[in-house]
Amino acid sequence: MSGLPGFVAAWGRALRAVAYAPLTPPERTTLLAGLAERLAGALAAPAFDPAAGYWVGTDLVAAGYAAPEALGRTLTVLRTRLPGALGGEVPQERVTALVESLAAGFAAAVHERSLDAQESIRLAALTARDRAERKLRESEARIRHLVTHDPLTGLPNRAALAGLLAAAGDRVGLCCIDLDRFAGVNDSLGPGVGDRLLGAAADRLRALVAAGGHRLLRLDGDQFAILLADTAGSEDAIKMADRALAVLAEPFHVDGTEVPLTASAGVVERPAGGEPAELIRAAHIALHWAKADGRGCWRLFDDARSTADAARYRLSAAIPAGLRRGEFTLDYQPLVALTGGAARVTGAEALARWRHPVEGRLGADRFIGLAQDAGLIVPLGDHLLELACQQAAGWRTPDGTDPPHVNVNLAAPQVYRAGLAGLVAQILDRTGLPPHRLHLEITEYALIEPTREVLANLRALGALGVRVVVDDFGTGYSNLACLRTLPLHGIKLAAALVGPPAAAASDRAFLATVVALGHTLGLTVTAEGIETAEQAERMREAGCDVGQGYYFGRPLSSDRIARRIAAPLPRRSWTDDAGSTAESAL
Amino acid sequence: MDRPDWAPEGIDLTRPSVARAYDYWLGGSHNFAIDRDWARQVLAAVPDLRLMAQANRAFLHRAVRFMVDQGVRQFLDIGSGIPTVGNVHEIAQRAAPGSRVVYVDIDPVAVAHSEQILKGEPGAAVIMADLRQPSAVLTHRATRALLDFDRPVGLLLCSVLHAIPDADDPYGMVRELVKPLPPGSYVAISHGTLDDLVEEADEMTELAGRTTTPITGRPRAEVERFFAGLELVEPGLVWSVLWRPEEPDETFERPGRSGFYAGVARVPG
Ligand SMILES: C[S@@+](CC[C@H](N)C(=O)[O-])C[C@H]1O[C@@H](n2cnc3c(N)ncnc32)[C@H](O)[C@@H]1O
Repeated sequence: MSGLPGFVAAWGRALRAVAYAPLTPPERTTLLAGLAERLAGALAAPAFDPAAGYWVGTDLVAAGYAAPEALGRTLTVLRTRLPGALGGEVPQERVTALVESLAAGFAAAVHERSLDAQESIRLAALTARDRAERKLRESEARIRHLVTHDPLTGLPNRAALAGLLAAAGDRVGLCCIDLDRFAGVNDSLGPGVGDRLLGAAADRLRALVAAGGHRLLRLDGDQFAILLADTAGSEDAIKMADRALAVLAEPFHVDGTEVPLTASAGVVERPAGGEPAELIRAAHIALHWAKADGRGCWRLFDDARSTADAARYRLSAAIPAGLRRGEFTLDYQPLVALTGGAARVTGAEALARWRHPVEGRLGADRFIGLAQDAGLIVPLGDHLLELACQQAAGWRTPDGTDPPHVNVNLAAPQVYRAGLAGLVAQILDRTGLPPHRLHLEITEYALIEPTREVLANLRALGALGVRVVVDDFGTGYSNLACLRTLPLHGIKLAAALVGPPAAAASDRAFLATVVALGHTLGLTVTAEGIETAEQAERMREAGCDVGQGYYFGRPLSSDRIARRIAAPLPRRSWTDDAGSTAESAL
Repeated sequence: MDRPDWAPEGIDLTRPSVARAYDYWLGGSHNFAIDRDWARQVLAAVPDLRLMAQANRAFLHRAVRFMVDQGVRQFLDIGSGIPTVGNVHEIAQRAAPGSRVVYVDIDPVAVAHSEQILKGEPGAAVIMADLRQPSAVLTHRATRALLDFDRPVGLLLCSVLHAIPDADDPYGMVRELVKPLPPGSYVAISHGTLDDLVEEADEMTELAGRTTTPITGRPRAEVERFFAGLELVEPGLVWSVLWRPEEPDETFERPGRSGFYAGVARVPG
């Protein structure tokens, strides 16, 4: 077969242009020589089998010659060069059959190959997509973890609460635990120590909580929370809070320093299903109570108390607007002389009222404390002082005698404020009220340790001709030295001294002593809270000069007190009036 | 680029992938309709592209065999694509049994496919990494396990550097990749260029922008800069078909139509 190498060389040249097959020229020659032998053998065989061509076709593809050009060029070389290379003895039909068979084998192999390739690339795409999705999920989980966990302690944080609550059962408890004065630790020992202390606190709580199958969270800087699942009642949550405060109360040792610590806790326990934020809010309110009650303790959230707190807060917030709109007014309760026959009105105490647009008419006890806490007592007090002077200046008696004086209460901050007398003088000027008709009531409390301002104020007021009366005298703060040295006009006995209807002999003796003391110092003695004729009689016997209380008359609006004062003599007994005024005042 | 390693890689099967289109141009079937649509559009603009791809691939084979002849037994093939006809490890191992190859690609499908091919092949591995983070490639577990940087390494950067725009500093990447290679290592680079494709240039640029990896063809001088500090072996930086051909090229009307500059350089020392 001397012509065969020439054929192989020609075949090799034909396939060179489809060069992406990974064979080197020598490798290619070896491959094609082998295939040419098989083709030549088939053509020369006594019993011709065209299948030999088929397998040559598939082997060509397997070796990497899979492009359509590879087939086309192979067929051309076969037809044109192979018979010649074999010496021209080959029947044309055999060549044709062999070529067709080779083409069929080639096509089948290419088909197989591309199906396999398609399958493998699909699989690769699926794998890649799965992998990308898994990574996505992992990163989501990672992000969720970052978002729902605190990096310092690794504990779940506030954002994790909703998820934890969802699995917490029918009733849940939340103990919000706050390290007392932690900011101070951080400031004095440094934030590094602070962080380690937090870590140590977290470890103790973790150990405590793990034992009961509960969850520990870190809500804020120095605030942890224990979530109790499936509680039976508030008792469960309280016990947990108690134990938590106990484990935190053991001294901590950080960097060789003993750091004592206490914590406060707010506890809430309720049916599950509410908003997580609502639960935290309730625990925080209770925590606030615990802090207000002196720290180092727990408080259980209580709806009524919280509602009352909220109402108080709302009311307090409405004071400035109420002042602007003139909602604060005064009622007047008569002061009646106990000496000298028929009940004679000597004065009236101005009592603050708030005509609240929603709440209706509110007594002083509902808002004076709030105003004091809110730092609004001075403007409110000044407003009421001016109003009282203005209204009292308009009082007229039928016979043109001097009208009764008006008693106005001053809060401690007003008394402490420098320049009080100057302000009072201005008000008297503006309103035209003679100074002697203004009696200022100050509490005993303001006189415990009178400051320089207080003393100056009292002296200046005295010089002005305004009278100053000590209210609620005998409640325990009495500073007798003060009473002697200060320019005071009178004392009003605390209602407690007026006492129960059937007062004991010792109480009577005490009362008599106080009254005598007052008189010794030249003070007018007034008894408040007189509700019965018997009490009135007893006070008169004890020597009190003036009486005040429902027995003598309920507070009246400014119009009514003015009319009453202007009523012609002899007036009706104040006593008869008692029931009706209260109603009409409402 | 500073994505934490747990952040997900995107996989977008609605856009053509260069790796799969390249497979199509080579005559492979590892591609999807979306890839073929795009690959055919490019073919319409540059009818010679199939031949260019094959010529580039053939250069890669010759370069690997050349390196094996120089004694290199380990390869780092970056931008390896879909391993189709004639994988680097097959060629290297046929020439020198025991040769090791680390394939690197950024295309997740190409990587997954390579994994299928390499299953049960101890001498080769594929990693999904970005050429733009050379240290991630060099310090990857598989790289350190398979490649010994005390002995010569063949670094293959074939038909991949044109995927990196200048703004990403491809020269810096190559410098970083070459740095740990011991003397006697080799670097093979083939790089697409529009130097001799003047009529096709605009359309090529436009079409390239539609893939997941846009292409920056570079003029000769800029390609040569990749070899700074290295010793180009004969015949230097030439058209791919002219680099140590095993037989005369009859494919292109002139060699520049092959569209790729190719060169192999030795790490001196
Ligand atoms: C045209 S293929 C080249 C395949 C092979 N190196 C060759 O020359 O025959 C280019 C390959 O580079 C990959 N590639 C593109 N940008 C890359 C990057 N930044 N990092 C790694 N691979 C990248 C593509 O996914 C693609 O598989």
